[in-house]
Amino acid sequence: MTAFRALVRKECAVLFASPIAYAVLTTVTVLTSILFFEHLRLYNQQLFLYASSNMGGFDSDTIPDYINLRDTVFYPVMEQLGLTLLLPIPLLTMRVFARERAHGTDELLLTSGVSPATVVAAKFSVTYGFVLLMMAVSFVYPAGAIAQGGLGLSHLLSVFIGLTLLGTGIASIGLVCSALTQSQVLAAAATVGLAYLFYDFGWAHAFLGPEAAGLFDALALHDHFARFAEGVVSLTDFAYFAALALAAGGLVRSALEWRRLSG
Amino acid sequence: MAQAEPSPRDPALPGKSSGAPEAENPGVRIETQGLGRRFGPHVALENLSLTVEPGESFGLLGANGAGKTTFIRLLTGFLLPSSGRVRVDGLSPSDRARQVQARIGYVPETPRLYPELRVRAFLGFAAGLRGLSGGARRQAVSETLTRFRLESVERRLIGHLSKGYRQRVSLAQAFLHGPGLLIVDEPTSGLDPLQREEIREVLAGLAGHCTLLLCTHDLDEARRLTTRSAVLRRGSLVALGETAALLGGANPLALFHAGEADEVASP
Repeated sequence: MTAFRALVRKECAVLFASPIAYAVLTTVTVLTSILFFEHLRLYNQQLFLYASSNMGGFDSDTIPDYINLRDTVFYPVMEQLGLTLLLPIPLLTMRVFARERAHGTDELLLTSGVSPATVVAAKFSVTYGFVLLMMAVSFVYPAGAIAQGGLGLSHLLSVFIGLTLLGTGIASIGLVCSALTQSQVLAAAATVGLAYLFYDFGWAHAFLGPEAAGLFDALALHDHFARFAEGVVSLTDFAYFAALALAAGGLVRSALEWRRLSG
Repeated sequence: MAQAEPSPRDPALPGKSSGAPEAENPGVRIETQGLGRRFGPHVALENLSLTVEPGESFGLLGANGAGKTTFIRLLTGFLLPSSGRVRVDGLSPSDRARQVQARIGYVPETPRLYPELRVRAFLGFAAGLRGLSGGARRQAVSETLTRFRLESVERRLIGHLSKGYRQRVSLAQAFLHGPGLLIVDEPTSGLDPLQREEIREVLAGLAGHCTLLLCTHDLDEARRLTTRSAVLRRGSLVALGETAALLGGANPLALFHAGEADEVASP
């Protein structure tokens, strides 16, 4: 446990000594704000159109049901924010293992009496923690406004959990890519590609039968996030993201052990 | 404003004037039998059998690519052998890597450090990796800073240190848990003469407190710091004996080159 704490402290120190952490936080926050205010602006325009005098005003039932804060602002923002995470998270994860290998500090870690599993657990914990921080910071605008719009605290919480889990899912893919190379650029590029592939397997329906495509859908990040976004908290979706994290951790641990054999 | 870096030539040297505290472990024994390691078709180390006694200062000599670093990595458990066996304090690094690593301090040729961390924070991290926490960690770090004359730079970022100081930090992290075996790989490579001299004095001060395995291709360094040495060439042991005798000939460099050394000494 002492080694785990030392590794976590070191990871945090190295992470926040890098401008990438601040750039990622800023980028996600700014993008969220832009997305949110853009959708809010469109929502207000629609309301204005329907509320204009020749359409009956705000109290008129000419305003369709689908024009509301939840469907016009919140869901589209969350959907786009999910996709937006595909870019900053690889920037965050690319250095985690690749840089240790490039600088030779993995040799320091792996010859100091610490098990590879402890190293992996500490690095995953800090990365997931940063994803949580990133989502908390970027969630302020939409959460504040939508809470005013009456979405409900439980639904907001569900969406927040979903987005955070989606972020950890992308981060898990990124950490595996980072452990397989010493090139940070390659790790980031591979993560973007793989995460985009795993995000939604809709394309598979064009090539595969419904059963096979359904299997791919079950593996897609988006499908499991979407249910949280709808306010449905399901144990299956939790299990999916937990399994993804465990599989990624196992792969990274094997990659570290493999170095003992391969050199 | 940038803080002026103190002179690397401090008046007192670690382990000498400060009097290095007695290491808890006086040294461990290294034993290898038929040890070999291949990387695909390339043979990095072949049929190496030798013994290093507890507390001994042992030199591992050879040109670049002779297999010295591979041997070290097999000792630390960072690599697994392709053939033969190795024991450190009676334990196999392949099977009991964690226990073996607890007995080892390792200083790689190029310091493996985190430039973003300050010296004290890095040593605290290294102590944490070794399982030291709370007061024990603070005490170990403070003692190590004193022993290796790093107090003046303890708040400096490692990335801002000179190469000599970085090497000292690397030595300090390897020694702060009182290892029974200190493995030092080319410790003075790339240093200026003053820094080289200082690192040698540091190592001389540590000798006797643990088993010292010094990998080098610097013959003066080997003569000064080791009592017995082995010479590797292309992964094979070509000479083993007292360092003074091995390197006392007219052309000790011949040991490093194929076809000239076989008559100098035999394993």
